[in-house]
Amino acid sequence: MTDLLRVEALCAGYGQARVLDGISFAMKPGESLALLGRNGVGKSTLIRSLMGLTKRHSGSVFFGGADLSAASPTRRARAGLGWAPQERAMFPSLTVEEHLTTTARPGPWTLEKIYEVFPRLRERRLNMGDQLSGGEQQMVAIARALTTNPRLLLLDEPMEGLAPIIVQELAAVIGRLIREGGMAAIVVEQHARLALSMTERAMVLDRGRVVHESSSESLLRDSETLGRLVAVAA
Amino acid sequence: MTSVIGVLFDGLAYGSLLFLVAVGLSITMGLMNFINLAHGAFAMIGGYFSVWLTQKTGLPFLATLPFAFFGAGLAGLAAERLLFQRLYKASHLDQVLFTVGFVFSSIAAAHYFFGAGQQFVSTPGFLQGQLRVAGVDLGKYRLFLIAVVILLTIALHLMFAKTRFGAQVRASVDNQDAAAGLGVNVGLVFSLCFALGSGLAGLGGALGVEVLGLDPTFPLKYMVYFLLVVVVGGAGSLRGPLIAALILGVFDVAGKYFIPQAGAFIIYVLMIALLLAFPSGLGGRRA
Repeated sequence: MTDLLRVEALCAGYGQARVLDGISFAMKPGESLALLGRNGVGKSTLIRSLMGLTKRHSGSVFFGGADLSAASPTRRARAGLGWAPQERAMFPSLTVEEHLTTTARPGPWTLEKIYEVFPRLRERRLNMGDQLSGGEQQMVAIARALTTNPRLLLLDEPMEGLAPIIVQELAAVIGRLIREGGMAAIVVEQHARLALSMTERAMVLDRGRVVHESSSESLLRDSETLGRLVAVAA
Repeated sequence: MTSVIGVLFDGLAYGSLLFLVAVGLSITMGLMNFINLAHGAFAMIGGYFSVWLTQKTGLPFLATLPFAFFGAGLAGLAAERLLFQRLYKASHLDQVLFTVGFVFSSIAAAHYFFGAGQQFVSTPGFLQGQLRVAGVDLGKYRLFLIAVVILLTIALHLMFAKTRFGAQVRASVDNQDAAAGLGVNVGLVFSLCFALGSGLAGLGGALGVEVLGLDPTFPLKYMVYFLLVVVVGGAGSLRGPLIAALILGVFDVAGKYFIPQAGAFIIYVLMIALLLAFPSGLGGRRA
C-alpha cells in the first residue's frame, strides 16, 4: 500500500532557529503513531510543521501522494490533515456548535455523530469557546478536527492539564476513535504509556531527531528503554 | 430643550454615518492587525462615483448608492489584492507610511479628475426639508440616514452572527493559525472583508456628501475620526465601534453647537478619557 504521509529529512523551526533536524518517517492509511519524547524535543514543532505553521529550512512532506512541502495551512487542512492543536486553540467568539460546523467538510463525521460520541458537547453546544472546562475544550478541539473529516488526525497533547478522571474518560474515547475511526492518527503525549496503549507504532524524538522507532506494544513492554527515552509519568 | 434634542438627533445621524464608514476599518484591523490609514480614500471613491454618475448619466442620487457600494468595494478588493496584502507581515511603521502615501495619491487623483471644489448631490424631494415630530423639527435626510444605518447594522450583525462566513471571520479574528490550520482560507476571508468594508465606506461616502461634504482632502480630514471610532470602539467588533461612533457624533455636534470656540477639542478630550477608562476599547471582547 502506498504511504499516506511521508516526511523526508525535514528541517524546520521558528525563524532562524532549527528545532527539527532531519526528521524522516512514513505512515500508511489508517495507521496510528504515538509521538513521544521529553519536553522541548520538537514533538509539537513536528505537528505544527506538518500543518505548515513553522519555517521549513529543508526537506519534504508528501501527503496522499501530493507534495505539500510548501503548501499553506489551509491547503493542508483541506487535503485531509485534521489538527487538534496543543493548548486547544478555542475560538472565544464561537459557540461549541459553531466550532463543529464552521470548518466542517462532508464525510462520516456529521454533527449528529459527534454528539453521539461526545454527548457532553450537545449539552454545551450554545456555550462560547472560552466558557468551557479544560476537558470540554479538549473534546471540542478533537471533535472540531473530526468534523473536517480528516484522513490523518493530529492530536497534540490531548490530555495536557486534565484531571486524571477526565484523562481516563477521554483516553477511552480517543482509543476507540483510533481503532474504529478508519483514519490514521498521530498522538503526541506526555503520558507515554497511555499513548502507547492506544496506538500501533511509536516514534521517539530527542533534540529534533528520531531516536527510536518500534511497535507501540514492544516499547510498552520494554520499560528500561521507555524510561531512558521518555520521562515516564504514567 | 428643543435645541438639545435637535443637536442629539444631528449627532446621532452624524455618528451613524461615521460608523458606516469606519466599521470596515474595525473589521480589517481586527482581522489582520493591519494599520490602514487609507480607509477614508474608499469612502471618497464612493462619494465621487455617486456624484459622477448623477452628473454623467442623470441617474437619481438614490439609484447611484448601490454603485457607490460596489464601486468602492471593487476598488478595495483590487487595492487589497494588489497592494495591501504585501504589507501584512511588514512593520506597523511600513504600513502607516504606505497607506499615508496611498491617501496622498488618492487626494491627488481626486484633485486631477474632479478639481478642488466641494461636490454636491441633489437629494430627492421627499428627503428634503424637516419632519415635525412632537414639536421638534427633524431633518428628513438625517432620518433616512439613521434608518439606512440601522438596517445595515442589523444585516451586518446577522451576517457575522448567523452565517458560516461570519463564523469563519470570527474564528480568523480569534486565532488565525488555528482557523487556517482547520481549512479556513484566511486570506480570502480577509479580502472579502476588506471589499465589504470598503464598499460600506463608499456607501457612507456617498450618503455623506450631504452631511460631511466631499472634496479631495476628505480622506485626510476625516482620518482621525475613523481611527477614533476604531480605537475607542475596539478593533474587530461591531458593537464597540457603533457606540464609539454615536458618542463621537453626538459630542462633536454638541461641542461645536454649544461651545463653538472649543471646536473639535471636546471630542479629543472625551476620547482620551474613554481610552483611559477602557484601554482595550468599548467592545470589550473582540468581534
